[in-house]
Amino acid sequence: MPGETLGLVGESGCGKSVTALSILGLVQRPGRIVGGKILFKGEDLVRMPVDELRDIRGRDIAMIFQDPLSSLNPVLKVGFQIDEAMQAHDKIPKDQIERRGVDLLKEVRVPDAARRANDYPHQFSGGMRQRAMIAMGLSNRPEILIADEPTTALDVTVQAQILELLRDLNEATGTSIMLITHNLGVVAGLCKRVIVMYAGEIVEQGPVEQIFESPQHPYTWSLLRSIPRIDADRRERLRSIEGLPPDLIQLPPGCKFSPRCPYRIERCFRDDPQLKEVAPSQEAACWVTMKRAYAEMGAATITDTRPGAASGVRPPKGVAAKVVDARTIDAAEGPVR
Amino acid sequence: MRGTLIYIGQRLVLIVFTVLVVSFGVFFIVHLLPGNAFVSDRVHGQALQILLHEYGLDQPIPVQYWNWLTGIVLHGSLGVSLYIRGLPITPLVLRELSVSAMLGGAALIITIGLGVTFGVLAAVRQNSWVDYLLTTIAVIGYSVPSFVIASLGILIFGQWLNNLTNGVIYYPEPWTGTYGTLAELSVPAIALGFYTSGQITRITRAAMLDVIQQDYIRTARAKGLVDRVVVLRHALRNALVPVTSILGPTVISIIVGSVVIENIFGIPGLGKEFVESIFQHDYNVTVGVFTIYAVLIGVANLGVDLIYTVIDPRIRY
Repeated sequence: MPGETLGLVGESGCGKSVTALSILGLVQRPGRIVGGKILFKGEDLVRMPVDELRDIRGRDIAMIFQDPLSSLNPVLKVGFQIDEAMQAHDKIPKDQIERRGVDLLKEVRVPDAARRANDYPHQFSGGMRQRAMIAMGLSNRPEILIADEPTTALDVTVQAQILELLRDLNEATGTSIMLITHNLGVVAGLCKRVIVMYAGEIVEQGPVEQIFESPQHPYTWSLLRSIPRIDADRRERLRSIEGLPPDLIQLPPGCKFSPRCPYRIERCFRDDPQLKEVAPSQEAACWVTMKRAYAEMGAATITDTRPGAASGVRPPKGVAAKVVDARTIDAAEGPVR
Repeated sequence: MRGTLIYIGQRLVLIVFTVLVVSFGVFFIVHLLPGNAFVSDRVHGQALQILLHEYGLDQPIPVQYWNWLTGIVLHGSLGVSLYIRGLPITPLVLRELSVSAMLGGAALIITIGLGVTFGVLAAVRQNSWVDYLLTTIAVIGYSVPSFVIASLGILIFGQWLNNLTNGVIYYPEPWTGTYGTLAELSVPAIALGFYTSGQITRITRAAMLDVIQQDYIRTARAKGLVDRVVVLRHALRNALVPVTSILGPTVISIIVGSVVIENIFGIPGLGKEFVESIFQHDYNVTVGVFTIYAVLIGVANLGVDLIYTVIDPRIRY
């Protein structure tokens, strides 16, 4: 949707970044897109010829990355790298490019922009570099800005500034922002809608307030529970989700989250759940959903969140041994009380 | 900027010091060679003593060295030839230097041009037949000694294809004309530059493959730049940093190789003179040429270090 702010969350290795890179066809070899569709204004970007896709890159859909230092070319001036993004497309008149380059740096609040445009990336601080990346991304007034963990490499105070900048730019320019992060706090602060990914698939999506208020997928619920609370009891341990995301080459059958899910039922090991509406404009892919987990398994008071702990269901014989990644066997086979 | 100038000054002082040590070493060693400068004249006894005295060769070696050094510093003179007695060698050596510089310069351009082009093409087409072909050529380049390529070059272009090339590429002994034509220059230059071009191909290919994986290349693609700009402007510029680091050894390799190549082709340059002067016991020429080599290598390495600052703005002195 134009002007929207969308958050894409999930643990490391859930396929968030690859999803984003696929949109612009930037997946590194030997990786490639084997199927599916990415629709942009009714056109499928996956099947689009490289020449046409190149016109979309940076002009209609721009992207900024996690580490602004390694994402900027160390031997080229920052101003030049921004101007270059405009020269690649004919959207900005040639005689305005240089002035707009400096204006963009001002817009992203780089002090003394005219002089700084002649500096090299190593002369910028981390936050300034990310601002320069954002300026580059916005230079052609794109419709969508994909921000792949834009604040992960920055310290906390700078993180807040960058997020504030992104929010202001979204409001001022109407550019849609797709924010990829594993930090739910960042999503809450910036996004209106959120998509939760697990093992390369969407498991839940919906408006941010609604998802935070009543998550329906146990994975979303576990993620939210893992956020440390400032008002929590000091003796309480930090909560985490037992185990690791599965190896994407050897996915478990049925629900991908079942080896780690406290609320799993037998069916979860057999059938892969599809997204379905669980509340107005909220969808989740789960056989149980938290509604049932609260009603039948006492999710409100649960303290033991080990796999299968709440439902008492263990993986059927053979399934665990065959497919569960070695890293998750401990969690999947742990004692169930 | 000021820091760079100070750095250049320091390096120049170091070069002067190195050249002093090298020239003294060579001076000392060539005078230890058996026989003397006038051995072919068959002069003995009194007559030999008179000759030795006339050229100051009867004095202790440190004194001779001091005289030689003051000759350079005060008069800009490398002394006189002992073979063609009394001929001032400075103009001779300078003329030969210009011939060698032309050959070496052409070889350097060929080696860098060929090496970088092959390296980039091989990296961009990694694991295709282009890559295999170019890396094979590179392996041949640094496996086959330059004198083999030189001999083959003479055989093919000077003899077999002589009718085809209408005598444009032909190597009479001694070489007519001071420099030879551009066509004549190309064969020895390729023979001289082929070996190092193989190394540059390998390093450029490896550096390009490394750089292409970097995040800023992904950024450049995400901007919508065409592949040519991504490769040449973003990748190659960064890949040239490690390539620059072997330019120093490359220059040395070309200087050393020129001694062999000039003798094979009969090119009247420094390398040929160097070898002849040793056989002729022409001490001053040997020491003079060697000293020029020392200066060239010192300056070339300084030049390489300065090229770094041009390619990579993060490097400052």
